[in-house]
Amino acid sequence: MTRYAMAIDQRRCIGCHSCTVACRTWNDLPMDIVYNPVVGGVVEGEWPHVHRNWVPTLCMHCKNPECVPCCPTGASQQDEDGTVWVDYSKCMGCKVCVNACPYGMRDTSHTVRRFDQFVRKCTFCKDRREMEPGKDPYCVQTCHQKARIFGDLDDPESEISKLVNNVDTFRLLEELGTDPQIYYIPDLGGRR
Amino acid sequence: MDKKTYQKENATPQYPHHYWEYPIAIYLFLGGLGGGILFLNWIFSAFVFPGIDLTQVMMLPNFVALIVIVIGLFFLVFELGQPPVFYRAYVTATSIIKWGAVLLTIASVGDLIWLLAYWSPAVPVLGFLSVFNFFEPIGPLMLALAGLAGFGIMVYTGVMLSTLKAHSFWATPALPILFTTSALSTACAMIMLSMGGWPGVMATLIDYLAVHEIHSMLHLIDIILMFAELTILLIMILSFLGAGNRTQQRVALRWVKGSYAPFFWIGMVGLGLVVPLLLDISGGALAGVVANVLVLCGGCLLRFLCVWSDDRQPLPDENRYYFRLKASDDRFMTRWDKPGKELERGQTWAYKENEF
Repeated sequence: MTRYAMAIDQRRCIGCHSCTVACRTWNDLPMDIVYNPVVGGVVEGEWPHVHRNWVPTLCMHCKNPECVPCCPTGASQQDEDGTVWVDYSKCMGCKVCVNACPYGMRDTSHTVRRFDQFVRKCTFCKDRREMEPGKDPYCVQTCHQKARIFGDLDDPESEISKLVNNVDTFRLLEELGTDPQIYYIPDLGGRR
Repeated sequence: MDKKTYQKENATPQYPHHYWEYPIAIYLFLGGLGGGILFLNWIFSAFVFPGIDLTQVMMLPNFVALIVIVIGLFFLVFELGQPPVFYRAYVTATSIIKWGAVLLTIASVGDLIWLLAYWSPAVPVLGFLSVFNFFEPIGPLMLALAGLAGFGIMVYTGVMLSTLKAHSFWATPALPILFTTSALSTACAMIMLSMGGWPGVMATLIDYLAVHEIHSMLHLIDIILMFAELTILLIMILSFLGAGNRTQQRVALRWVKGSYAPFFWIGMVGLGLVVPLLLDISGGALAGVVANVLVLCGGCLLRFLCVWSDDRQPLPDENRYYFRLKASDDRFMTRWDKPGKELERGQTWAYKENEF
């Protein structure tokens, strides 16, 4: 069965925020919504071995998402391939899922008309993948450093599967038990 | 850990806004208050004084319960992004919000039928509502339903927050206990303030004796509940401060000596609990009324402070990201923080956005 996941290579990320811009462009987001902020950027290490550690974030498309069972309308859903998404036609904007997400990756826009708000979030570009199967999310396609790798974790031949199984990775807030599907390859600044 | 790193990691989060605003705090307070009144009314009518007719004595408290639940529901619906489709909340079976909506519906409908069943024709102005007295045979059943649903609402208001484990301050078993205790305490205060009033028609000596008896019992119960609430509150906050995770410590620090400290120490602990306790213990009719009003205000403040303590564990250097956003483009961020302030009549954000 297909199980989509993303690996983010912090060794390659230079913090250019082009993934953020690409996402905003493709999804036509209101100005107060960011699906994939690139946080971090702190200078670490000691001269001459210094480096900046960027943490590109997005919805973690958790295996055990907190945001899906709490939804009172069934708008927040998870596909069989692991994609967590919101059916806008069912959402009533109660923001329970927004409060349930430990990563802060959902929100309603405050710039759209009052009484016309719904919860928005990253869908791994579900619409792009439905239009053209096999296509990568727009943030992955845009990343000129190839720091984002997207694919099927259950396919042993896929690039992400090989990466996750052979390289040391970590996940954000793993201790909460949500089983996030975004794997970070850490930048150790030349250290092993 | 050096001082600079410590300050950075314990800085107040710079997320754009609270996800839930004041309507949810009011809803949680009013829901708990209404639920508590219905539960206590059922307990007194069915178990404490089973042979005595308390319908006219409890008419105003039940009327108040219906009003506050309806107002609470209004605020809940008002907070929705799309209020006209609020009925979608009844769809899924697993969601805690759905159970809250069902309990609130049962409580308010049961209470309304109970009120109409015992509505006296002698009520000034609205006496014509006594045409619905044909509900009387199912009155006790409706009160039992409303009372049980009311108990559920009291517990649910705390459980709803405590299931959201993204927010460490909410995700604790102490919060539902604190909310339930506070709901019962505020319900005691409201019943003492309103018992025997319009639209109840106090016709017999037994009614007046019942008011006196219930008042003295609630007075004692409220003193015990306030002691319990004070204990739970202080244990919860101080244990977060001493032994909580980093997020819990940050919030507790805000409560104990940060920006929420005046509201916490003076508002909730002082005026909301200690002063009413002293007034209740010292006795006196006027002191009792003042104590009850203070208890209600303290309960409301508790919900506000809890709802605004929605800090989540920040992602690595997330604060820095939002600090940087705020510092580098103040015009953009000013409009983000306060959308609508610069809007004139008839203008839309799409129109304003074109200026950038």
